[in-house]
Amino acid sequence: MSTKYKIGVFDEEKTLVASIKSLQERNLAIFDVFTPYPIHEVLHLLKRKSKLPTAGLIYGITGALSVLAFLYYTSVLDWPIDYGGKPFNSFPSFIVITIVLTILIVTITSLFTFSVRAKLFPGQEAVIFDERATDDKFIIVIDAGLLGGEAASEAGRIMSESGAVEILEKDLTEKK
Amino acid sequence: MYNRSIRGPLVEGNKTYGQISSDIMAPIDARPGMWWYLTMAIASVAALFGFYAIYITVSKGIGTWGLNNSVGWGWEIINFVWWIGIGHAGTAFSIFLLILRQRWRTSINRAAEAMTVVAVGCAALFPALHMGRVWLAFFIFPYPNTRGPLWVNFNSPLFWDFIAISAYLLISFSFWYMGMLPDFATIRDKTTSKVKKAVYGFFSMGWTGGSHQWIRFESLSFILGGIAAVLVVSVHSIVSTDFAVGVIPGWHTTLFPPYFVVGAIFSGFAMVMTMMVVVRKVYKLNDYITDNHMDAIARILTFISLIMGTAYATEVFMAWYSGNEYEMFTFFRNRVTGEYSVQFWGMVICNAIIPQLFWFRKIRKSTWGLLWISLAINLGMWFERFNIVVTSLANDFLPSNWVSYTPTIIEIGIYVGTIGLFVVGVLLFFRYIPMIAISEVKGVLNIGSKIDD
Repeated sequence: MSTKYKIGVFDEEKTLVASIKSLQERNLAIFDVFTPYPIHEVLHLLKRKSKLPTAGLIYGITGALSVLAFLYYTSVLDWPIDYGGKPFNSFPSFIVITIVLTILIVTITSLFTFSVRAKLFPGQEAVIFDERATDDKFIIVIDAGLLGGEAASEAGRIMSESGAVEILEKDLTEKK
Repeated sequence: MYNRSIRGPLVEGNKTYGQISSDIMAPIDARPGMWWYLTMAIASVAALFGFYAIYITVSKGIGTWGLNNSVGWGWEIINFVWWIGIGHAGTAFSIFLLILRQRWRTSINRAAEAMTVVAVGCAALFPALHMGRVWLAFFIFPYPNTRGPLWVNFNSPLFWDFIAISAYLLISFSFWYMGMLPDFATIRDKTTSKVKKAVYGFFSMGWTGGSHQWIRFESLSFILGGIAAVLVVSVHSIVSTDFAVGVIPGWHTTLFPPYFVVGAIFSGFAMVMTMMVVVRKVYKLNDYITDNHMDAIARILTFISLIMGTAYATEVFMAWYSGNEYEMFTFFRNRVTGEYSVQFWGMVICNAIIPQLFWFRKIRKSTWGLLWISLAINLGMWFERFNIVVTSLANDFLPSNWVSYTPTIIEIGIYVGTIGLFVVGVLLFFRYIPMIAISEVKGVLNIGSKIDD
């Protein structure tokens, strides 16, 4: 499958943001924006949202409850041992392990979720539109196949008007 | 909000984004200098000495150490606590300062995290070896088994410690690695070498810098930062409970958790400072790790040093105020005066008095001043742990139990070995990993300036 993309290359954060705004005013869909560092304004304009914090909260609650349940099971149900007269369910001294293990569980599960959702795996091939996007350029990618030729060339014109230093066309043939 | 007109820019020298990438990548592309090979050689020899000492310990047993019935914890526990303390730099710098939105952390956090991972690895060696039969170390994992009491003692601080240290190591490593993804991608896209492209490409896991990735990256770093901030407090508090739940005079005190946590952050910051002084000098990264950064660390150290001084004074005061004769003995006859007064006063002078020199601007600006004072703090923190571990054990309740303790060459060997390992780890980090977070520095390049408004 072959897809054509129109790529606007920008030098600065400011022109990039202006360009995104004018593209959106004309309802020209932006495929994605690539930047060397996170720009909150861009993420906000593209309405990117992440449900990771909610997932993290769920992991945390589940994690904490499972750790406490595990401690209760081992120390009270499975094999109770009297340690210096302490009650079998010595909850206050279970808190330490619960907190630390909850942090560990949240870290590992959130990382895993991040890896799945952001599509980052060891050995994953990166789909690179322009190699300078991780260095010093800001890039807007327009899916020309989706928008159609006319709209795509309009998008190209808007981008160069709002300060793009280069407009490129790229034909990315998906690897099978 | 960062006030640039008062505090100066975070990155000096009017850098462009491209320059930032090439400046920070330069040590990875260039051949390391003679000093690198020389230090590597010395550190490797030290590490080999350490491995030899570990071999003797494992093959012959703990009897090769200078421990005895009274002093059951010696250099191993001192060094364990010392390394864990240094390992606090990572959480303190990258996570605490992230939560507090201190943007100046960006030039330093990567190195602090790297240091943490290596230091905690060194620390974890000691309790493992202290178990004696290190090949049975897996006994400490809580899993169903056929060994009698089945489960470990979940009420024991020693077990908490095991959980805390392993979790800390895993979490620090994850946080560190995740933060490096964008930088590995930068190297992948910018390098001309095919091998580097393949290797860093593999480790960058397909990072492109798209908005879908950045939004999740930001969320993840705040989740991890938020939840791991607890570790700043918990790890060393748990280490302190190893001591504080004991009845030994000098250990049995409620001051211990905050005292240990503050001490850990103190030594972590000091080690970061030592490393940053070297990095600035050798790699000429003064534009990124500016005088203002060093100044900020020095100010924090001055303040923590005051807390340390207060803690020492509180301990001595409480010994007198409690009216407990054993406490009185431990502090006044054993630490302040007596057999171990050198270590006690070494601790007070290095940790509470010398860092006060940072009140002078001239010293905060001087490379040698920063280097020597940070080294003095690390020495002082070692004295502090010696003071706590050995003085209390050597002379406790019964005079018939009193002994003195001297480490054997094997114990010294393990310590020297971990220092060697640490230096090897840090040198490899300098050589193969961007030592400043490239993407984060780009994000703060124009902070507080007109362009940013």
